[in-house]
Amino acid sequence: MSEDSGLWLLLAGPAGAAGLYWALYRYYRNTDKSHAVEHETAVEAQPVTGSDHKFDEVKGTRESRISDDNLRAYRKRVKRIRDDTAAR
Amino acid sequence: MSSADIPSSTPGRPATGPGSPQDVPPSPGRFAIDPATLPEPIRDELQAPDPAAINTSADELKDGLNRCPKCGATDIRHKPGSDLLICLYCRNEWHGKRVEEEFGLGVGIDQLKGTVIASGARDIAADAATLMSFKCTGCGAEVTINTESAMTARCHWCRHVFGVNEQVANGAVPDAVLPFHIKKDDAVARIRQFVGKRRMFALKAFKQQFIPENVISVYLPYMIVDGNTSVSVAGKAEIETRRYTRGSGKDKTTYYDADVYQVERHVDFTVDDLPLESSTVRGNLDTRANTNNIINTILPFDTKNAVKWNASYLIGVSSEKRDQDVEHLRPRLEDQLLSIARAQVESSMGRYDRGVRCEQERLSVHGTRWVSMYLPVWLYSYHQPGRNGGMLHYIAVNGRTGKPWAACRCSSGSSCWQRSPSAASSKALPSGSWEPPHE
Ligand SMILES: [Zn+2]
Ligand SMILES: [Zn+2]
Repeated sequence: MSEDSGLWLLLAGPAGAAGLYWALYRYYRNTDKSHAVEHETAVEAQPVTGSDHKFDEVKGTRESRISDDNLRAYRKRVKRIRDDTAAR
Repeated sequence: MSSADIPSSTPGRPATGPGSPQDVPPSPGRFAIDPATLPEPIRDELQAPDPAAINTSADELKDGLNRCPKCGATDIRHKPGSDLLICLYCRNEWHGKRVEEEFGLGVGIDQLKGTVIASGARDIAADAATLMSFKCTGCGAEVTINTESAMTARCHWCRHVFGVNEQVANGAVPDAVLPFHIKKDDAVARIRQFVGKRRMFALKAFKQQFIPENVISVYLPYMIVDGNTSVSVAGKAEIETRRYTRGSGKDKTTYYDADVYQVERHVDFTVDDLPLESSTVRGNLDTRANTNNIINTILPFDTKNAVKWNASYLIGVSSEKRDQDVEHLRPRLEDQLLSIARAQVESSMGRYDRGVRCEQERLSVHGTRWVSMYLPVWLYSYHQPGRNGGMLHYIAVNGRTGKPWAACRCSSGSSCWQRSPSAASSKALPSGSWEPPHE
């Protein structure tokens, strides 16, 4: 943030000002911050194992990415498969 | 309560609801159904080692007096900026025992089975009193300490210093404490700097009325968890095989062909010293409901350097009591373990240039170890007068690393998010809540 942010705010007009206001508001309050548990925890992991099976082809889609790409959304929970004890 | 106290079969018990096999199993040693009738994984959990396997209480401190090992005086203080204790009478200095070595906390995480709970992390007894009394061995007077907010007191007759060093059932006394390293002057400087960097949004009044004396030190309660776990993730992933355009000029459109894969990943891992807030208020990370999640954002702390509980570290420092037990925190732990696992498998998916959609995840927690710990925080709050009781602003500083963080909260208890951004667009900035930009 620079000293002329206030001037920018005026030049941006009402709509732009709201967006900028909100960005700065978040910056000040750090509302979107939390501890980066995924990268700041001491983790010792065994090598990742797994499988990859091609099962389909997509032809002529206009989408440049897979739908609902969430690989990097670590905290977005997906369907949880419980260990099949029926109790958990 | 052991299973022997309860009839081994419970006819008529509904198949669902609390206590049924459909319910999440309670912690080991608290089950009301004969383990032999239950599925194997539950039986394993029931028969896992008892909690409180590590006794962290300090017998030598039970009378509330922490004596200097050299001269026996009780006027013991924490030496600021260090992990040392110092005797104010003979100036002898000594280091608290690190819990890491004392209780073997860093080792054997990959062998953890079941739930191991250090004695200071046991369940809080609901009916336990918060006032603790000590009979002064110097003069016979009664000295009372309110464990809601204080851990030490001084006998006003003979000046013996008492600390709550015995682990009491009310959950106030943790296993370990991480002493303050950041001194008050340093904390004040960091708060000034933090506000200075956010000059546009810092309140003028805040800057003018900043009172360094009101920066206070407080110990906040955490559970520090080691875990041994496995996670599997399954989903779909795509690799681009062809890219082409049709049409020309304005109607030109890009099309893609792709191979679709079913992918699965599995990772076994251990985590060492994962911190979880063990106070309900402080641990609520939902920013819509709680704009006051101060302590999560100033993580991490160097918890490896925590020392065995000794109330002398808390003289002059207030503290907040833990109100969450291990079972309350288990869902948060599981959520974080899943997040960590997703980060771990990411790099094995690099070939999928059109991305990966995770659809299912499975978590098996083989074993966990829980230690209750006080972590050091410098805190400054500023009340801004205004409508609806005004607003409270907080700035917190990590007492070990100096990492600062700020928050605000409407005094009426409502979230700041309820002041909608549309209010900002109508007048550029909402009056009465923030200082307009004037740089
Ligand atoms: Zn001494
Ligand atoms: Zn006395």
